[in-house]
Amino acid sequence: MKTPLLELNQISMTFGGLKAVNDLSFSVFPGEIVGLIGPNGAGKTTVFNCVTQFYKDYEGDVFFDGLKGKVDLRTIKVTDVIDQGLVRTFQNVELIPDLSIMNNLLIGAHKQFKSRLIDHLFNTKKARQEEARLSEKALEILTFLKIDHLKDFYVKGQPYGILKKIEIARTLMSDPKLIILDEPAAGLNDRETDELEALIYQIREKYQTTILLIEHDMGFVMNICDRVCAISFGKFLAMDTPAKIQKNALVQEAYLGKDD
Amino acid sequence: MLTILDNFTKRVHGFFQGHVYRNYLLFGAAVMMIPLMHNFGIIGSGTLGIWAYIVIITVVALGLNILLGFSGLISLGTAGFVGAGALGTGVFLNMGLPFELAALLTILIAAAIGALIGFFSLRVEGIYLAIATLFVGEILRQIYTQIEIFGGQMINIGAIRFLGFFTLNANPPSERRFLFVIIVAVMVLMMIAMHHLVHSKTGRALLAMSRSQAAAQAMGVSILSYRLIAFVTATVFATVGGVLYAVYIQNAPTTAWTLDLSLFVIAMVVVGGFKSIYGTFLGAFIIHGIPNLILAELFGDVSYIFSGVLIIVVILFYPYGAIQVFYDVRKWFHKGRLKLTTKRSDRSA
Repeated sequence: MKTPLLELNQISMTFGGLKAVNDLSFSVFPGEIVGLIGPNGAGKTTVFNCVTQFYKDYEGDVFFDGLKGKVDLRTIKVTDVIDQGLVRTFQNVELIPDLSIMNNLLIGAHKQFKSRLIDHLFNTKKARQEEARLSEKALEILTFLKIDHLKDFYVKGQPYGILKKIEIARTLMSDPKLIILDEPAAGLNDRETDELEALIYQIREKYQTTILLIEHDMGFVMNICDRVCAISFGKFLAMDTPAKIQKNALVQEAYLGKDD
Repeated sequence: MLTILDNFTKRVHGFFQGHVYRNYLLFGAAVMMIPLMHNFGIIGSGTLGIWAYIVIITVVALGLNILLGFSGLISLGTAGFVGAGALGTGVFLNMGLPFELAALLTILIAAAIGALIGFFSLRVEGIYLAIATLFVGEILRQIYTQIEIFGGQMINIGAIRFLGFFTLNANPPSERRFLFVIIVAVMVLMMIAMHHLVHSKTGRALLAMSRSQAAAQAMGVSILSYRLIAFVTATVFATVGGVLYAVYIQNAPTTAWTLDLSLFVIAMVVVGGFKSIYGTFLGAFIIHGIPNLILAELFGDVSYIFSGVLIIVVILFYPYGAIQVFYDVRKWFHKGRLKLTTKRSDRSA
């Protein structure tokens, strides 16, 4: 039995009187593509926010066996989560509109810059070399995603499909072990969704990473995921291969309602 | 003929696309020519002081642009820090410290206060931050007018001895050409430093922080660190402006650092152009230069009415700053060139 990369152990998160996540446990193993599904309001994004430490006051534990060994993520600051090799995208694309695509990728490498404010003010050799080295890395990723021809354009005004790609490209800048994608296919047309599917496989292969994603497009989820975890009203329903999840009575009930 | 023109425009374009330093140095050199224009009688004798003020206030506004344009933060206490620069230099000089040390100490103290505001800014956002900084400015102003070491009305500074032996000239205001060249040089240095800063990891992190706090944090940008950096940098720029004021004007009044000044500096950033370095100078020129240099001669006392109308017009047509005018000109220029070349290829075909 392999050791899990990400382990959620009885996570609960309450907002006021509402239990958004209720005693949820599941694990993600290295190299997997795992989908987290559930009807609207099931608490999927809340789970992501607990894992990436945007929420700190959850109950239970999240363990991550990342770049620096196994850690309890609660002890890690939200801005240091990326150092562990855990990086995410957002449901509503969160990019910097008035920066070039290239510069948006360089934000993903923020923690890899070792130069300091004083180096930046005087544009020292150290700062220049670092900038050149990481720009090259960014260009490599953009070429891999086939959007290198757009590198100097502003993010503002790019079509949605490109924005989604830039956000994925930004996660790759940090050499992640686990990428968390929040609705990567939302707003994409069929052709773009197929392209994204191929891209996610390529990313797993080339960057040797694991992927955890939320998605409402069931066709996409069932195609791409090795395993799927279904939740409803914050509660764990089932976790299995896509084929078995589709036949699971509890999951069908959560999505379609109960037969009387 | 067309080929020559085309080559020429290409050359001009290539030249300005070249090294960053050269553009800033050329700009500085052009501004340094202003006293020379006085020699040739093109501008009046009283105007050098106005130009000097534009240069000084540009340095201050550059700092505010880092806050407002890049970091999405606001400060209504700018004037207090310009005052700190001028008065602090005066106080330390009166204590017998050499100029360099006096300026350095002043900047360090102001930077520490800036860091404190940055720390507080984590707790207050938007309009609340504006009000909090407003009162920081007011507190500083009260300190200057009430506490005795600031000399009541003003501190007389006089000619500054630079490096201990080199006395900067103490001529009457219209004759301070050498001083003018020095403050322009400092402005150019600050412009280059800001250029480097905003094109670095720091600049990107500031933008990320203001445009999407969640994304910034997920990428490892610490909001506390960068709010501190933003406020400290802005404060240092404002204080350097104050030190330049002390150097050029040679006295430091205690009552001049009111909310008016802070608001004018904000107007310079908004009217000139968010995030634009040259735009900041342009904004300072529009807000301070146009009413005092041009309209005052034409209309006398009512010039501020006309400048008010002018500023409203600029904001209406160029909401992203007057610097956009130059981008438009560049666009026309390229369109024109394109038209010329396509016409020629049509003819040859």
